[in-house]
Amino acid sequence: MNLKRRNGPRAIAALLLLFSIAQIGLQVGLAEPTVTTAIPITPQAVGRLTTRNNQPIQVNGLSATTGASILSGATIETGADQSATINLGPLGTVDIAPNTKLVLTFDDQRNFKATVAFGCVKVNARTNATGEIATDQGSLGKTDPATGGQLEMRFQPGSTPAVGQGVCADAGAGAVVTDPAGAGAAGGGGLFGLGVPATVAIIGAGTAVALTPVFAFQDNPSGPNP
Amino acid sequence: MQAAARFGFARLLGKYAVVSNSIPAADQAVNLAPADAEVHRARARVLNRLQMTGEARKSFEIATSLRYRDDLLWLELGSTREELSDRTAALAAFDQAVRWAPYYAHPLWQRGNLKLRMGQYEDGLADLRGAAASKNSLVPNLIDLAWGLSRGDVKSVEQLINNDHDRLAFAQFLARKGKGEESLQQTRLLVSPLSTQNRLELVQQLIAAKAFAPAFEPWRTDQTVKPPVILNGGFEQPISAWVDTGFGWYIFPKPEPKIVRDESAKLSGAASLLIGFLSGEWRAPSETIVQMIVVEPEKRYRISFGVRTKALVTGGPPVVVVKDAGDNQRLGESEAFKTPSSDWQTMSFEFSTKPATQAIVLEFARVANDCTPCPIFGELWLDDFVIEDVTTVNSQR
Repeated sequence: MNLKRRNGPRAIAALLLLFSIAQIGLQVGLAEPTVTTAIPITPQAVGRLTTRNNQPIQVNGLSATTGASILSGATIETGADQSATINLGPLGTVDIAPNTKLVLTFDDQRNFKATVAFGCVKVNARTNATGEIATDQGSLGKTDPATGGQLEMRFQPGSTPAVGQGVCADAGAGAVVTDPAGAGAAGGGGLFGLGVPATVAIIGAGTAVALTPVFAFQDNPSGPNP
Repeated sequence: MQAAARFGFARLLGKYAVVSNSIPAADQAVNLAPADAEVHRARARVLNRLQMTGEARKSFEIATSLRYRDDLLWLELGSTREELSDRTAALAAFDQAVRWAPYYAHPLWQRGNLKLRMGQYEDGLADLRGAAASKNSLVPNLIDLAWGLSRGDVKSVEQLINNDHDRLAFAQFLARKGKGEESLQQTRLLVSPLSTQNRLELVQQLIAAKAFAPAFEPWRTDQTVKPPVILNGGFEQPISAWVDTGFGWYIFPKPEPKIVRDESAKLSGAASLLIGFLSGEWRAPSETIVQMIVVEPEKRYRISFGVRTKALVTGGPPVVVVKDAGDNQRLGESEAFKTPSSDWQTMSFEFSTKPATQAIVLEFARVANDCTPCPIFGELWLDDFVIEDVTTVNSQR
């Protein structure tokens, strides 16, 4: 074997190695610069939205559902079948009924205020926090930070605002079911106290299900790709 | 067969429990199929609705242990844990959700929001940005949050912009906030030119936010057209009736009066505008034909136009009025049109803009008087509308 032939594979290997190194360098060179999101942000209180049945409501004119962050100054609006609760952590909560629009402001001094344009709002302030309800005409009441407390108001433009416990009772304020049908109940008759019509429906449907083959259920609903 | 029926029945009970918020039904479902994550989820949902959040958490934890690859279950668990003010545990659950659905928007969006509430702004915004990259409809929400967190700092929010889609969303956001110049600045940075639809949407958003002068910039396609100007003042071009593009003539949609471009009569050029009152009715006169014109504050302007009347009979003759587009305050008006008939004549009037005036609205209206009801019959023609800045000629305020 002559020298030329013996060195051939080595030369090819060396060339391949060089080419590979060059590729790495090229890849590094072509990589997009890392974009930072280092936005200067002053620490501030941020609320959390919960909507009933995870129905979207409007926050600053944009659709928002449970888990959205609420910043001070947000304009919140619910539609006919939508209600929500804003959890402000140590300050308290604000329950919002359907067909309500308000501006919610809060600060680091544990003050929060719901300025209601229309609709029904319930403010629940914790101890050491001050909750306030208002319209654009002015304040309608504040809670006592020594005790905390609840304020409730109903307002339609052109009418006098109604303030007091229970004024939102039939408005369905908040994201939580307060009067559940059958919650912990037993005694409605039928299966598990569910009531006769429900029991009949369940047994009928249960029979249908029993005759239907069981399919494999997916355990990762979002799948590997979007 | 029996196991399958039991399983199916448990699921059905679980669904029923959620619909009726029934804890007994949820409990029974769990008893029937304790190894089924779905019934534990159903129970947890019922408990959550009934504000029994601690119990709900336990059920969600069982459900996630049974079906640990379900990102939605992890999200519900995380949300419940946050309700209980256990943010660290909530974050751990959201981390799992992201782990099992790394390319989807919803886990990143939820985790990003939680991180913001935990004061982890940089990480939170990175998650939200990732979510918005996966689901474009979240871009406006991302911009809104970043805007609020940065206390309205354009430069800060701009750092989140990745592409033309995001930048257009930011330009529209700024337009809605009335930040006209800043909005235009963003449109100038777009790699691709604005589509006609996006351009006109931006114009409408700027006008709605009363940023009239910036709105005129994207509206005009001919860069030689500079304010102040009355567009198509001689009615030489056709008027698109009932189409409000922001600037140019806008004719309100109503049956009376008859408004048409007329080539048979003109003061100059090839046509004029004919307004005919045939039925005697003229409801809401100021909502007949209008044009918004960009002007400068604290200036004096003169508007001149040609008018011709024919058999015009009314107790409240027509006039041309100028109002401030910002607050609708009347700034000036012409003399009443001659009745019943007159040949072409040129009328003019002057007015001054206020310190906050950005634009005026030129309206065709009628003199204010107590003529009620106030029928009107006959025809009139308008032509050659011109606006001039006469501040230096006549500084009268």
